[in-house]
Amino acid sequence: MPKQIYDVVVIGTGAGGGMAIHALCQAGAKVCALNGGRRLDPHKDFRNHKQPYDLPFRGLGDPKKRKDYIGYMDNEYTEGIWEHDIAFTTAPGTVWTWRRCFAVGGKTNFWGRSSARFSDIDFKAASRDGYDVDWPITYEEIAPYYTRVERMIGVASTVQNRPSNPDGEYLPPMNFRCMDCILESGAKKIGIPYLPDRIAQLTRSHAGHPACHYCGNCTDGCDTGSFFSTPWFFLPAAEKSGNLEIRTNALAKNILTDENGHAAGVAYVDRNTKQEIEVYGRAVVVAASCVESARILLNSKSRHWPDGIANSSGQVGRNLCDHLYGTTARGYLPQLLGQPSFPDNVSASTVAWLPRWQNLENPKQEKFIRGYSVYPDGGCAGFPYYAGQLEGFGRDFKREIKRRYPTPVSFYIQAPTQRSDSNYVSIDPAVKDIYGIPAARISFAWDENTLLMWEHGKQACEDLLRASGAEYLGAGEIDIPGTSLHETGTCRMGNDPKRFVTNHFGQTHDVPNLYICDASVFPNCTDKTTTISILAFALRTTEYLIENRKT
Amino acid sequence: MANQSPDRRQILAMLAKVATLSQFPGFSRWVCATENTSAVSTRPSTYKPSFFTPAEYEIVDKVSDLILPADDSPGAHDAGVAEFIDFMVAHDDELQYPFRTGLAWLNAFAFEKEGKNFSQLSLEQHEALLRKLAFRSQQAPTEVPGQEFFALIRKYTVLGYYTSRIGLEALDYPGLRLYSASPECPHRDDPEHKHLPAPRV
Repeated sequence: MPKQIYDVVVIGTGAGGGMAIHALCQAGAKVCALNGGRRLDPHKDFRNHKQPYDLPFRGLGDPKKRKDYIGYMDNEYTEGIWEHDIAFTTAPGTVWTWRRCFAVGGKTNFWGRSSARFSDIDFKAASRDGYDVDWPITYEEIAPYYTRVERMIGVASTVQNRPSNPDGEYLPPMNFRCMDCILESGAKKIGIPYLPDRIAQLTRSHAGHPACHYCGNCTDGCDTGSFFSTPWFFLPAAEKSGNLEIRTNALAKNILTDENGHAAGVAYVDRNTKQEIEVYGRAVVVAASCVESARILLNSKSRHWPDGIANSSGQVGRNLCDHLYGTTARGYLPQLLGQPSFPDNVSASTVAWLPRWQNLENPKQEKFIRGYSVYPDGGCAGFPYYAGQLEGFGRDFKREIKRRYPTPVSFYIQAPTQRSDSNYVSIDPAVKDIYGIPAARISFAWDENTLLMWEHGKQACEDLLRASGAEYLGAGEIDIPGTSLHETGTCRMGNDPKRFVTNHFGQTHDVPNLYICDASVFPNCTDKTTTISILAFALRTTEYLIENRKT
Repeated sequence: MANQSPDRRQILAMLAKVATLSQFPGFSRWVCATENTSAVSTRPSTYKPSFFTPAEYEIVDKVSDLILPADDSPGAHDAGVAEFIDFMVAHDDELQYPFRTGLAWLNAFAFEKEGKNFSQLSLEQHEALLRKLAFRSQQAPTEVPGQEFFALIRKYTVLGYYTSRIGLEALDYPGLRLYSASPECPHRDDPEHKHLPAPRV
């Protein structure tokens, strides 16, 4: 039997892989998609309409399993979804939490939905402040792809005319809640922006998908598909086209090469049978997410590629960046004491944000370079976490819990790290995962610039609380590196093949039929989230791949 | 639709209703939100604790109801908080020793102060004992184990109550409903919220 050769093998079905699959199948290419985990059934696996009292441990989780939960999204509501079996290691001194979703659709099933475009202030940052390199692409080149992505997925926001935040095509914004109005008034007094976030959550029905019903539990998965995820938005049509075969529980191990060192397909482990299987394609798209993509390339050693495929530059795995996340300030709004409860929680903290306001006109205005953004959170949430801070018991205690219910407010910073030689992904020389695949090892620490942003952010948010008439209760802690899920930079794009892994189209310099469609190609992290940019860049990469097939 | 649980069908019905209501601009934007009407699970009248002894369980039930009593909403006893605590302690090895010794300490404390078991005391006596453990101004350095136990049982009472339907309804938790439009601040003419109506609570 002649071996089957697909037009393209795509590793991963998240934002980047899903977009590649979508564009390829629409163009008539035969695609085999490898996915490391299972398919999810929204009606069984998404418990977003369960109340705590519907779950045995009220959402707190079985104490015997709780210690294995990875961060706040991994909990009793999402049990059985996040990946726990595939090992990774950390270099001495590195602390890293790594919440991976290997289910079909990957993290798009549960993402935070903030969807701001990158800008020329991001792409040309090096020219402005002298650190590192510019991106090999301009805003003008990528803007049309952002527009097309926004039309596909639906993003709610307003036109804001801010230099670092180009405006797009938006659905009506989420409405401001009481806390937003109060904080917006305070922000005006101290001259920082408080605006509707760009949020991929459908404020009206869009492209055949129903409007949001504001249950507030997006990060448990959406059973109506009212925010973008590839299983709701891309994969059904791709499968219907007859051009797509998704292989689930297919853990990509390495890229196969032909006699010229070009990509010939992918070897993967079937997690059910533990068998190694090869699948062949005329081109390969790697979209396994930043760290996994680097791991696959580094594990793809051959006669042609002794240090890993597409790694003649030695840059695969290097330049790992992340967002520093942490609670910069907590307080409460006395204006709302004793007021009726209000559905503040319904958008899971994505109504508003404080887009980057630092170093815009003058790139060296602050003690740090670049900038950060901040997300506010608060109001009537499910559980009154502040109760532990109150003294006493009885009717007074209960009344005080109720009285304070609408008042809590906090801020969460999103501060990018800058590339450095000491932050990178390598292959652990000793440790293999349960399928015998050498494990990724992460070396990472916050850099000084990012920590200066954290200090700046704490002061700004304290100032904002005070200007808003709030009681300031102090700052919180910096989260563990890896919390944000916004890793970038292990396969950076750039024009020089000696210094960068891919060209500006996301095609690897070394291997012309090997493309990368995830945040690993981003030269650095910005103050914005990554998903909409992964989608826009992946669309551009995939259309370039399609053009190349024709010639 | 046959394979869907009643739960699932109910949610779909709610979503349909929300979608229908949202067609009518005359409706107020989110006041029409549909109530989630799933029944409160009925509690057997006699609960058999799986970790606590009957005597211990009686104290847990009593103390939790002292911490969050009935007022204009039902209290911890009605919300089944003692059952929740028994369930959590039975499943959590690290809680078992502190609860067992803490309950014994509390009973001994009652005996020392009032000459009776905790369960035999009056409401006033219960409240007086707990005040000594709860308020910094009344805490004695010799009673640290009791203060720690009180903090522990209060924490689990709050957890159990405000994750129950009764407790979430007491807060008027907005997540018990769905909404046809993004909820909007009703006081847009008062952005700083300096002139709100008098507090309800």
